[in-house]
Amino acid sequence: MPKKSGIGFLLASLALQNLGRRKARTLLLLTAVAICGGAVFTGAVLMQSIESSMSVGFTRLGADMLVVPSGTLTNITAALLTAEPTDLRLDDRVLKGLEALKGVEKAAPQLVFRTDASGYKGRGEVVDLIAFDPARDITVQPWLEQHLERPLRKGDVIIGGRREEALGSELMIFGWPLTVYGKLGKTAVGTHERGLFITFPTLADMRATMQQICGAKGPLEPEKISGVLLELAPGAKTQQVRFAVLANFPGVKVVSGESMLTSIRQGLTALLGGVLALMAIMFVSTGLMVSVLFSAIITERKRELGLLRAVGARRNQIVGMLLMEAGLATAMGGVGGCVLGLLLMRVYERSLVYHLDSMGIPFLWLPAGTTSLIALSCIALTSLIGAAGAFYPAWRASRLEPYALIRSEG
Amino acid sequence: MLSCVDLAKSYSSERGEIEAVKGIDIEVQPGEFASIVGRSGSGKSSLLAMIGGLSRPSRGTVRVEDTDIWSLNDDRLANFRNRRVGFVYQFASLLPTLRIVDNVALPALLHRAQDAADAYQKAAGSLAQLGLSDHLDAYPAEISAGEQRRAVIARALINSPALLLADEPTSDLDEETERRIMDQFRALNREHGLTLLMVTHNLPLAQQTDRIIHIADGRLAS
Repeated sequence: MPKKSGIGFLLASLALQNLGRRKARTLLLLTAVAICGGAVFTGAVLMQSIESSMSVGFTRLGADMLVVPSGTLTNITAALLTAEPTDLRLDDRVLKGLEALKGVEKAAPQLVFRTDASGYKGRGEVVDLIAFDPARDITVQPWLEQHLERPLRKGDVIIGGRREEALGSELMIFGWPLTVYGKLGKTAVGTHERGLFITFPTLADMRATMQQICGAKGPLEPEKISGVLLELAPGAKTQQVRFAVLANFPGVKVVSGESMLTSIRQGLTALLGGVLALMAIMFVSTGLMVSVLFSAIITERKRELGLLRAVGARRNQIVGMLLMEAGLATAMGGVGGCVLGLLLMRVYERSLVYHLDSMGIPFLWLPAGTTSLIALSCIALTSLIGAAGAFYPAWRASRLEPYALIRSEG
Repeated sequence: MLSCVDLAKSYSSERGEIEAVKGIDIEVQPGEFASIVGRSGSGKSSLLAMIGGLSRPSRGTVRVEDTDIWSLNDDRLANFRNRRVGFVYQFASLLPTLRIVDNVALPALLHRAQDAADAYQKAAGSLAQLGLSDHLDAYPAEISAGEQRRAVIARALINSPALLLADEPTSDLDEETERRIMDQFRALNREHGLTLLMVTHNLPLAQQTDRIIHIADGRLAS
């Protein structure tokens, strides 16, 4: 008894055999789809990696601007990582105004309180206690090198890169036990390296004790901050934002960061947008290419399609068989593209990533699970694009009369 | 069994409208073996395509067992082609990438009423009846033209159709194979009561059927 196949299997094997019948053409199709799929896969993985690297890498290069009270003495460094310790304060209404300002992407408030009366280590050591808002922060958490396996919470402290306390240990500050949640990397910015970073709610809990110990020198009013670190939106001009801040908020001073870093950050964001547009264009062109190719393939196979129709195949079965053929071919191309993409990324890792690392900019590859998910999505998408590209010629062929198809020259 | 009334077919061409079939009336009785004879271009193949549900007439009706086939929607018409008629063409009409047994089982597999095992059993049985039991797993290119034509007959019969349509079924075949195929048709007609309608330009072949319908220039000829 011969091997038995259901109609679905038979039509699928027809689709596969037709791909095998014209090996050179199928190979060309697979290559074209592989190049497109590979470019999209590589683009997607690198884009995601660059995005996450930017958030912890380029953010590490500091804020674009620092807004402080006008009398503050500022020690300008290449990296704006913290506000400066000063008795001068800004009203936190400035923060809300800055957030709403055109050209400002993020505004991170900080309150820096320098004291030798905290009781830190039981001695009169000078400590910079820095309150920050984790939700708005752009310069503290990107530098976290170690932290406890839980979210940051009230009563936690993050220590600067030159501090030695162990994770999970307790620090007594103004008589309050604080748990060491994390430790930052070394930044060569004194305040940042020696700072003890706590959240505003933690500071609020400690405020009364601090007032008792420090008197008028303590951080008296709850709605006051030392400064606001700004990250500019892509395309925003540093000078324009600077003038807008000075015009809208009297009594403030604006300290600009390294303009080149701001340009790099903004340029990269624009580049990522461009890569996304390019990926969309590549998929559309693949769809068109598959459509043209399948128009030719179907013209060659009209007699076969007519015979299938003559023995009772329905229109949707003909369309389904052709879509399956296109989907299979482009999915195989997609698999090839992902393999090609992985090889490309190895090359990328040995060149550009190495240079970035040597510049101190970490490049964070996506986790394997996420990369696999992108690869699967890419294969599914190429398959879908292939099927979509073949749909019109398949649908048009299915509308022809069986006799017209049979009489066509194969 | 089969009734065609005022059947006509026009084609559009660069030279304008061409009327291949110009209003033909035909009646075929159940169990009859009739042939349509005419010269090349007389419209006989177009007529057979309209009768078999392959090409929509420009006007007129085709009734097979009381069903006006051209009033059916596309899916029902596909079912009609699958279950009620069998076709034998003048060219090699097996799918080259499928085995002989797959080709023969294909209409039965498309006919969802039976499962794959039944379809393949019937296909193997039909091929055995036609002397092709040694070629079940062969591909069309591996067997002779005569064997291919017999495989096509097996495929046409697998769903037990009411009507078998044959368009120049022995063209390109040697005399011995032609004789064997005609013997096959006569046996199917006499022993199984199958209604057959055969198109040919070969008058001696047509003379082996019960009735000859002459056609010339798209019309019935006397």
